[in-house]
Amino acid sequence: MAWWTLYKRELSSYFHSGVAYVVLFGSAVAQSIQFLFIVSKVVEIHYTEANVLQIFFTWPLFWMLLLIQVPLITMRVFSEEFKLGTIEMLLTAPVRDWDVVIAKFLGALTFFLVLWSPIALDLTALQIFSSPPPPVYWSQIGLTALTILLVGGFYVSIGVFTSALTKNQIIAAVLCFALLFVPFGISLLRWIRNIDASLLAWVSYVSTPEHLQNAVQGIFDTRPLVYYVTVTILMLYLAKSVLESRRLKG
Amino acid sequence: MIEVENLSKTYAGFQAVRGISFHVNKGEIVGFLGPNGAGKSTTMKVLAGYLPPTDGRIRIAGYDVVTDSIEVRKRIGYMPENVPLYADMRVTEFLRFRAELKKVARRKIKERVDLVEQRCSLKDVQNKIIGTLSKGYRQRVGLADAMVHDPDLLILDEPTIGLDPNQIRAVRDLIKELGQHHTILLSTHILSEVELTCNRVLVINHGKIEASDTPANLTKLVRGGGSILLEVKAPAPEVIAKIEALPSVEDCEVNLPGEGDWTTARVFGKPGVDIREDIFSVVRQNNWSLRELSRVKATLEEAFVELTQE
Repeated sequence: MAWWTLYKRELSSYFHSGVAYVVLFGSAVAQSIQFLFIVSKVVEIHYTEANVLQIFFTWPLFWMLLLIQVPLITMRVFSEEFKLGTIEMLLTAPVRDWDVVIAKFLGALTFFLVLWSPIALDLTALQIFSSPPPPVYWSQIGLTALTILLVGGFYVSIGVFTSALTKNQIIAAVLCFALLFVPFGISLLRWIRNIDASLLAWVSYVSTPEHLQNAVQGIFDTRPLVYYVTVTILMLYLAKSVLESRRLKG
Repeated sequence: MIEVENLSKTYAGFQAVRGISFHVNKGEIVGFLGPNGAGKSTTMKVLAGYLPPTDGRIRIAGYDVVTDSIEVRKRIGYMPENVPLYADMRVTEFLRFRAELKKVARRKIKERVDLVEQRCSLKDVQNKIIGTLSKGYRQRVGLADAMVHDPDLLILDEPTIGLDPNQIRAVRDLIKELGQHHTILLSTHILSEVELTCNRVLVINHGKIEASDTPANLTKLVRGGGSILLEVKAPAPEVIAKIEALPSVEDCEVNLPGEGDWTTARVFGKPGVDIREDIFSVVRQNNWSLRELSRVKATLEEAFVELTQE
């Protein structure tokens, strides 16, 4: 159960660091402002919670937040250990490299979910304070939550991988941002006019905004599920390999 | 406890360790000496299972370091050079985390952490954040971490660097005490410490073992184990000529400053010969005034310099 010990330490280390609180505060403020704005816009129409979520996740602000948050959360996970030399202390304890990678991944993912938990509060507030309360469609909300979890895992695994590459946190963050932007950038291709249909199929396969769109509408698609889980596992495997090769080089 | 056969370690094109072999028996305290960059830390990192060896075989407590890495790591307490620690944790919190990580039974964690805090005199800082501690305390937290799971073997890379003389003495006593139940391999630059604590010394230079013996035997290697300090009232050239004429004397050096007419000389005898009587008869024959004739034991420092200098 070495990973569990490491996971606890990893999670508590977020709450020991200043950066985490800045990210937490920034995200909460941005989310709340966005939420308020959306609610003020949709009250006129006949709305449901799913409507609110739908608009929420298609707003550019959501994507900007996501692309900035994840590098900030994950940049330190390995870089800091390399920089301070604590990796040596960590890897001479009886733990496997996998334990370390999994613990760091789950720690960062948990913190990511903490960052997005205000949405649940916002929705609850919406139920309590609007009269009559908007209808709730659990399948849509559940699917949205699942997609956020999958996308979170996907993004965080990329961050864990880039952090394992360097002892410089800034480089790790920039590299992570660049890699996260690739699938996001591809999803923007669908706005090009006269785009080839076969290319469009590819685009929608990796387009995270589209996946969220579907989830919010309650459409369950297994393709993104396979896509996210596969890339996450691949990234974690790469992170573990990088860790090994760094030791080989000394 | 440790068996090393033909260990080599190359990284970034540099061969840090070149085919060394040695063994450390259970219960020994072995000092690992060598100039900076000789390969001490690299060897220790390989033994601790952090760096994989390029070539060779290492067994610790009967387990292979490469294939049974986890089993080996359970049995060793390693304190890296410069003692990297999580600066954001509190001392007790950190030691508990390390104990849990090192598979100390849950019900024993509190007891073990209490014990190592006591032995490393950490009780008064147990609730402080590690980042705020002084170098001496951090060093002791590192030592406490290395021994928290009661390992058979302790590998300590420069455990006393950066400590004040009182702390050095405390750590030395602690190491001696630990040596009664544990096997210890430690590296250091403080040679007096090695003389006082270690049963055996390994001298490494340019990635190779130069010597492996007790501190006492190593000092004997130095020009017959010591020299004679002689202070007489006579011109230096005459003293050198007369003393070096003795068949039992190997060398006579006058490189210490004399006072007025006095000449201070260091005389080295042939190995195993006591030359004090011969020197005294030379002094008497020449009617020199004599104010010092004493034996200076060779130090480990001299042995170290002799073994590691080009």
